[in-house]
Amino acid sequence: MPVVKLTVNGTRYEEEVPERLLLVDFLRERLALTGTHVGCTFEGVCGACTIHLDGEAVKSCLMLAVQADGHEITTIEGLAGDTLTPLQAAFREHHSLQCGFCTPGILMNMSDFLRENPDPSEDEIRRGLVGNLCRCTGYVHIVRAVKDAARRMRGEA
Amino acid sequence: MFPARIEHYARPRTVAEALAALSRCEPGEAIFLAGGQSAMQAIKSRMLRPQALVDLQAVAELKGITLTGGALTIGAMTRYADIARDARLGGAFGALTDAASHVGDRQVRNRGTIGGSVCWNYVAACTPTAVLATGGRMNLGATSGATRSLAADDFLLGPLETARQDDELLLSVSWDAPAARTGSAYAKWGLVTDALPVIGVGVSVTQDASGKCVQARVALAGLAGGAQRGPAAEVLLMGSAGDAATIDAAFAALAAEADTHSDLSADADYRRQLIQSLGREVAQRAFDRARA
Repeated sequence: MPVVKLTVNGTRYEEEVPERLLLVDFLRERLALTGTHVGCTFEGVCGACTIHLDGEAVKSCLMLAVQADGHEITTIEGLAGDTLTPLQAAFREHHSLQCGFCTPGILMNMSDFLRENPDPSEDEIRRGLVGNLCRCTGYVHIVRAVKDAARRMRGEA
Repeated sequence: MFPARIEHYARPRTVAEALAALSRCEPGEAIFLAGGQSAMQAIKSRMLRPQALVDLQAVAELKGITLTGGALTIGAMTRYADIARDARLGGAFGALTDAASHVGDRQVRNRGTIGGSVCWNYVAACTPTAVLATGGRMNLGATSGATRSLAADDFLLGPLETARQDDELLLSVSWDAPAARTGSAYAKWGLVTDALPVIGVGVSVTQDASGKCVQARVALAGLAGGAQRGPAAEVLLMGSAGDAATIDAAFAALAAEADTHSDLSADADYRRQLIQSLGREVAQRAFDRARA
């Protein structure tokens, strides 16, 4: 069985994995990092399993664990330090969680999005969210939080 | 859903190693894995059950965008995100950035590649159509050491079918230096933002110094036959001044002739309407880019 060596949320892991093990299942079942969710289960359209691979948002259900060998991964558990990130704080304040199932994936995608585009328009935010389904359909609150977080991260009041 | 048993995983670092890894497997046993944004869906649903995977992520020579004297080469493992944000690719290559920047979603664009998309050649996909409209060539290497180059027209055979043989690897897609006053564009309509195209239209045109159109390529996405040329529009654009009346007539002719189908996304008449309205918009943008 192949051995993968990778860093997840700053911790080095070395694990034997079967070739067919999905990265999302490795994170959830081997490392017990269950904040990365499984929504659509195979089409790769819901975005609940979004993580950062070397800093970029990708869907962990469309990768095998063996493909992550040598890479650095951040999951929702590794996003905040001692305090919530401005994006997480904005989600709490704007009631953007609702049932919360899609939230980890959206936070991972939007934190990468705001790094790329620190001053997005509402249209750009909505387009950035296309890969994340919220079945509570509460996108209004989510868009508002992302916009507010961007403002705070730019140092505006 | 998760994949059926996979016996072997290889991560070559060079094209030579990738082809060697492939030649160690029985024909049809192994598949190349590019960004995996389509192939992994097929592997998880077990439509594909590869015995071995040759993961191309570490093959540096398959990545990157090179412009030399106007000629363009895009490595097969170059991601949509890299094509979308390359500011050099306007004008004659505008269709490529138009298409790449609206494929799927951010996460897909961070992984999915041009080579993966043209080799998968999904029935409704933006990249094969944009490459066909701009007249790209596919450069292939085989396990025997042989190489060959095929025009997109000869490479894209139909939905999920290409001229690539089991012992071949797509190395790059390339374009000759475009003639002066060449512009291209691509747009699609889908059920939600950046969705797969119900209809997509790609256009590339060249004008001479007097403004006459001397080269026109039109390609469609979203028909049952997969990415295909639209000669009915091309012949009317050729020789014209790229004026609104000609563009209207060209896409009315193509819409009338296109073999559209009805499904849950749209009926056949609606697809004809989309060919006309998207065609007008895209051709106008291609001519604007040619004039810029």
